[in-house]
Amino acid sequence: MQKIPLMTARAGMILARDVFRSESAIGIPICGKNTELTDTLIARLENLKVQSVYVEGHPVREEGDHNLDDILCDLDSRFAKVRQDPLTDKLHDIYADYLKRSMGESGGRKTD
Amino acid sequence: MDEKQTELKKLIMDTRTLPTLPVVINKLSSLSDNDKSSVQEMARIVSSDQVLSARILRLANSPSYGFYRVSTISNAMILLGVNVVKSLAISSSIFKVMEKNSVGLWEHSLGTGVVSNLIAKKLGLPECEEIATAGLLHDIGKVIISLKCSEAECEVRRIIEEKQIYMREAEHEVIGADHAEVGGWLAKSWFLPDKLAEPINFHHNVEASKNHRIKTSVVHMADVLIKASGFGDSGDSYVPQIQQAAWDALKLNEQIIAELVENLEEKLVEVKNFSLELQQG
Repeated sequence: MQKIPLMTARAGMILARDVFRSESAIGIPICGKNTELTDTLIARLENLKVQSVYVEGHPVREEGDHNLDDILCDLDSRFAKVRQDPLTDKLHDIYADYLKRSMGESGGRKTD
Repeated sequence: MDEKQTELKKLIMDTRTLPTLPVVINKLSSLSDNDKSSVQEMARIVSSDQVLSARILRLANSPSYGFYRVSTISNAMILLGVNVVKSLAISSSIFKVMEKNSVGLWEHSLGTGVVSNLIAKKLGLPECEEIATAGLLHDIGKVIISLKCSEAECEVRRIIEEKQIYMREAEHEVIGADHAEVGGWLAKSWFLPDKLAEPINFHHNVEASKNHRIKTSVVHMADVLIKASGFGDSGDSYVPQIQQAAWDALKLNEQIIAELVENLEEKLVEVKNFSLELQQG
């Protein structure tokens, strides 16, 4: 499952969670999970000011098609100047943990 | 400081070539100083500028503020407060230039605004919206440097590339001042309130912030977090060091940071969508 900006949603993707009108999951869902997105549906969600949707798999590639290793490598280079500082190094570890967890099992790319 | 630096600094700090504030904002300022003026009156002033109204509504409805479906200017003003609308008006007029020329910096600024708001809410701080605005504006000095002296900006970029240093270090080499200083000075000459000026001026030097240290600390942490996430492009790609003064002022701990990282990554997906929409529209 991946949370993607609606602007990057394409026909054929499958919703992994219900879509609600506002970001809080209150009220009636406007589109149920397991629905296959179509161009018309995406346009409708756009009109309803939906900002993001959860879709099955990991269809939207980050810039430059990254896998977990590349992402961690980028993270390291962003932190290159501050690893010797204990506080900032802590943030690095927290971020690395988060990335491992969120990209986790599927290694960032679910092929099914 | 050598001669060239002094000259560049003079050019950038010259008030005569400063982008002027839209007339609307001056009118708004005089109205907001007068106790007798109503929100409706002020809303009418803002509404006279179509582009500005559209942008204020867009911002009020954006993920960074979290109020959804604000449809009238007077509602936006009641919800956000007059000061916020005023600073939104200022920032949207300056960001108009930026959006087109420098999408990366615009995303970095918007992201910092959103994360500032997240931190402020998480810590239960007062004046979340103003803190978010301060986050949005924190790098305004970079816009001014680029507007007034694109040559200096190119030189700064070249030095960052060559020496692999922070942008503010490169700015010091070229101009003898950094974007925080330029931004702080700009905030003064535009008479922005201190609670916006201090975070702009001291987001790289939290200890120097005396009256609004909490707000400055939030903006500093938001800047660090957004650079850690790799979202947007602020000029260099290096995460700044977390300043102890900010960590202490906000009484942060690992647990809070871990939760913030999770929240902000979720939120950034929406910010990205907002930014993509703006670029298209």
